[in-house]
Amino acid sequence: MERENPLIEMKGISKKFGKVEALKGVDFTINYDEVVGLVGDNGAGKSTLIKILSGIYQQDEGKIYKEGREATLLSRKDSMDLGIETIYQDAALVDQMSILRNMFLGREITFFFGFLDKKSMGKKSLEVLNKSIGIAGIKSPDQVVGQLSGGQKQAVATARAIYFKTKILLLDEPTSALSIKESQKILEYVQQLKEEGISSVFVTHNLYHVYPVADRFVVLSHGKKIKGVRKRDTSIEELSKIIVSS
Amino acid sequence: MLSRSYIRRYVNVKKMMRDVLSYKTGSIIVLIVVMQIMCILFVPRYCSVVNFRVLLRAIPELGIVAIGVCLLMIAGEFDLSIGSTLALTALIMSLLFKNGLNIWLSFLISLIAGSLIGAMNGLITIKARISSFITTLGMMMVWRGVVLVLSGGHPSTFLPPLSFHAILAGHIGLIQAQFIWFVGVAIFFWLLLENHKFGNSVFASGGNKEAAAAIGVNPDRVKLICFVITGLLAAVAGCIGVTRVTSISALQGQGMELQAIAAVVIGGTSLRGGEGTILGAFLGATIIYTVQNILLLLRAPGFYFQLFVGVIIIIVVTLNAMIKRR
Repeated sequence: MERENPLIEMKGISKKFGKVEALKGVDFTINYDEVVGLVGDNGAGKSTLIKILSGIYQQDEGKIYKEGREATLLSRKDSMDLGIETIYQDAALVDQMSILRNMFLGREITFFFGFLDKKSMGKKSLEVLNKSIGIAGIKSPDQVVGQLSGGQKQAVATARAIYFKTKILLLDEPTSALSIKESQKILEYVQQLKEEGISSVFVTHNLYHVYPVADRFVVLSHGKKIKGVRKRDTSIEELSKIIVSS
Repeated sequence: MLSRSYIRRYVNVKKMMRDVLSYKTGSIIVLIVVMQIMCILFVPRYCSVVNFRVLLRAIPELGIVAIGVCLLMIAGEFDLSIGSTLALTALIMSLLFKNGLNIWLSFLISLIAGSLIGAMNGLITIKARISSFITTLGMMMVWRGVVLVLSGGHPSTFLPPLSFHAILAGHIGLIQAQFIWFVGVAIFFWLLLENHKFGNSVFASGGNKEAAAAIGVNPDRVKLICFVITGLLAAVAGCIGVTRVTSISALQGQGMELQAIAAVVIGGTSLRGGEGTILGAFLGATIIYTVQNILLLLRAPGFYFQLFVGVIIIIVVTLNAMIKRR
């Protein structure tokens, strides 16, 4: 595979909401097989940046490149077509629906006129679930997601990301609603996904959540990028100081 | 190990029986069977050809409306305006026909009007970001007012050609045309909800709007479509109703919004969205009308109807909640 260009490159991204400048010319890159920690205080513009990349917001200025080619992201669908998956606080699953229905939501396997091919979806989801590790307690793809634990839900979301050949996973404050044990699980999955060749952007205002897994950190403050540094060139103390003093 | 337990689920008969009972509509199926047996045994004239016809004629109107309401509620929204929509669309068809328009064209225009009313409810709710409970509460009053103005508050007759009457409200032997329409509508929406990808989007939009959007489903669009379907089905029921009784009253459909919600809730659909079945709505409407029918046959005063439906709602919803918690 050609890997001259970064996986994703965002250049000079600006976004205004009315008079509020949420982002002021931010550059942001995601490389292959990498976990990026996007950190900064509340209101720094982290979520806005992530939402632009997921196609929910459109930037006012700036360009986005996928593997060197310019990309226009007008909807969530455009972003998904580039292989970008998002996981929000609640793992992006619908509690009332079965594992199977969640797994194929928005990307159903169909016969004709959009009628569901439940058999092959059942088979595929079994395959995927059997493959991924640490899913004790999941008995069948027909189980309702609401009955699963936080960790199991995360496993289902991860299995989905792998199955649909996601290239980049955006995690927006994924640990803020979870127990310590469950957030530990998420960090493990991010690591696991990296080994599967999926890069992640881990957004959080809590540096300590992301520090163990990130390879690189980008610090935002008041809509500007104030620091971009590899883990090996910094320390948690230095990063904390940058965030606090900004 | 996963696949073996998956297969076992479908092979083990004992477990299957248990599954049926704990299935979403299990408690209501039990209730309806018990109710029918009791009626046949104890209610005079219940088990007769005449009464069978009455049931097959009357259930579909509430039932068709309830299917729309069910779909919309799964998508996480309410429609309180269906009773008024039903009256208005029936009146539109009747007025157009009386002014010389072809009956089928009048019917078609009335269905379009119903869809547009649904679309309006949806657009206001979504664009203005207000609760559909409020939007449609307002619309309920607006359209009832329009009906009263247009009709002058007087009932009037509606005598469509026989062919039209036969197709909407006629019968083939024992089976009423309305009932065939009702079953057809139910099967269509069951297919859509359980076996079509649109159904997945409906459950997701009502269950977790953010998660649905994150995966590329557009919840606003899904909800809008459900509003349109609800308005359309209210128009279908309105036109069937007015054809059946061959007269139109300005108060037609009043109270139906709550009866439809009651039917849907009895059928196990969640008020919070994301959960529910068409079969449940079908059976819920049947139960509600059966209660009314029993009371008519027993010549009980009309107000007992509300009392019994109220009791049934509370019993069934409690049962459902208990089964779920187990």
